[in-house]
Amino acid sequence: MNAGKLARLSVSILVFTGVWWTSSGTFFEEAIVPSPVSVAGKLGEMIWNTELFAHLGASLRRIVLGYALGCVIGIVVGVATGAIRLARDLIEPPLEFCRNIPPVALIPLVVSIFGIGEIGKYFIISYASGIAVLFNTAAGVASTPQIRVRAALCLGAHKRDIFVRVVLPSAWPHVLTGLRLALGFSFMGVVAAEMLAADQGIGFLIMQSTNIIAPAEMFVGFLMLGSFGLITDQLFRMTIHRLMRRYMIPMA
Amino acid sequence: MSWRVLRLEGVGKDFTRADGGVAEVLRDVTLTVERGSFFTLLGPSGCGKSTLLNIVAGFEGATTGGASLDDKPVAGPGTDRTVIFQDVSNALFPWMNARENVEFGPKMARLGAGERKERADTYLRLVGLDADAGKFPFELSGGMKQRIQIARALANDPDILLMDEPFAALDAITKKHLQVEFRKIWSETGKTIFYITHDIFEALLLSTHLAVMTAGPKAGIKEVFQLDLAEPRSPSNPDFAAMYSRVETLIDEEVQRMRAR
Ligand SMILES: Nc1ncnc2c1ncn2[C@@H]1O[C@H](COP(=O)(O)OP(=O)(O)OP(=O)(O)O)[C@@H](O)[C@H]1O
Ligand SMILES: [Mg+2]
Repeated sequence: MNAGKLARLSVSILVFTGVWWTSSGTFFEEAIVPSPVSVAGKLGEMIWNTELFAHLGASLRRIVLGYALGCVIGIVVGVATGAIRLARDLIEPPLEFCRNIPPVALIPLVVSIFGIGEIGKYFIISYASGIAVLFNTAAGVASTPQIRVRAALCLGAHKRDIFVRVVLPSAWPHVLTGLRLALGFSFMGVVAAEMLAADQGIGFLIMQSTNIIAPAEMFVGFLMLGSFGLITDQLFRMTIHRLMRRYMIPMA
Repeated sequence: MSWRVLRLEGVGKDFTRADGGVAEVLRDVTLTVERGSFFTLLGPSGCGKSTLLNIVAGFEGATTGGASLDDKPVAGPGTDRTVIFQDVSNALFPWMNARENVEFGPKMARLGAGERKERADTYLRLVGLDADAGKFPFELSGGMKQRIQIARALANDPDILLMDEPFAALDAITKKHLQVEFRKIWSETGKTIFYITHDIFEALLLSTHLAVMTAGPKAGIKEVFQLDLAEPRSPSNPDFAAMYSRVETLIDEEVQRMRAR
């Protein structure tokens, strides 16, 4: 990061915090929008008594497992949908229908089926992330340029080689886009699920804070979501950059 | 493989259009391409040159007739015929560097690493890109990418190169260089070339044989020439100039005919 960019970033953060600070207790009541100082105090307290880690741990575990499951299913089904006509014709219509149902809308049903245990949360997150991965993967697999496949055929590639060495690598940039989108959706999914039915997790923390009138806790929740979302996205991008650079070139 | 001629016999091709109608593209195309020749196809835009090349490549089946090497009919794509595409960015594998692209064919032939490397070295050197072996396609200019595509094809040792306007997207200077170099590569490797172009000048510069097609629909072969032009070929040679205007007249006739419809 160069000096100019760093300066602009600092200004942006300062202005944001400043607006928050001045509006708290003036424009908004302190009991609704607490000041950055009281939120920071609350954050320290929750770190000190380790309450924060319990919530964070619960949410992150749900995200990791649900996201991993969603990605695996999304890639496998997405590849099938993109590559096999029969699979596409059978699977796509119901999925096109489902993608219009946001994960949040499914929560009441999921709670009725699975109760408020962990399985329902994994389901919501897998659903949220799986759909994104699936559609992007299918689009990637289906969009391999025809002449690239033809070139490989001329060079002696068999069906299997074509799939593994041409179609899948051509699809990677799309798959990665899906994986990254899905990561964002997992965060949304976990919060929604925890707000409605949980006794732990960041979503629960936010929801509960209104019941026990602890606005600073709610803002600690926001802080965690914002920063962990940012960190995971950055980690994701760095990993991709290191491991998958050559496949991202076509998108560059 | 010891075939002597590539034959197109009575090739006709219809496509079913998106609206359900039938596009009658080719009718009764008969051509003989001798091994080792540089055979160029010229014709008005849309007459069916690429379609014909795709039939020879085995990407598309003919509706009637077909292509054969001696008496062996073309039934699908094969390593004896390699296509060089104009759209080189999509034809190359963007996630492979130049060397890996060139090694793709040998790899498919399950050759060992040593031999693959040797072949890649040979053909990268032949196209003058041995110093750029580690670069990825996006790091190479259009002309360099086209050289890689040629090297990749040659590394697989095909009998015939099928080239669909390979230099048409390049700037004039790069194009001129590649034409001269490619003619040298052709005479050194002795490959048979089946070449499509819009460019009469290019056709006369490179080819041993030249076929002019009629305008579509139901396009066919209008006339075939054997080009025994004085070497080195140059537009200032009288035979070159005479041939140029003769071919130009033929194509103009076809374009007029197409317009009149
Ligand atoms: N898959 C297809 N379905 C329907 N029509 C097609 C198909 N492929 C080609 N055609 C039609 O066949 C005709 C010949 O196409 P082709 O691409 O072979 O022409 P061409 O001579 O190579 O043209 P150009 O010089 O512009 O490259 C065109 O009218 C085209 O619209
Ligand atoms: Mg064409």
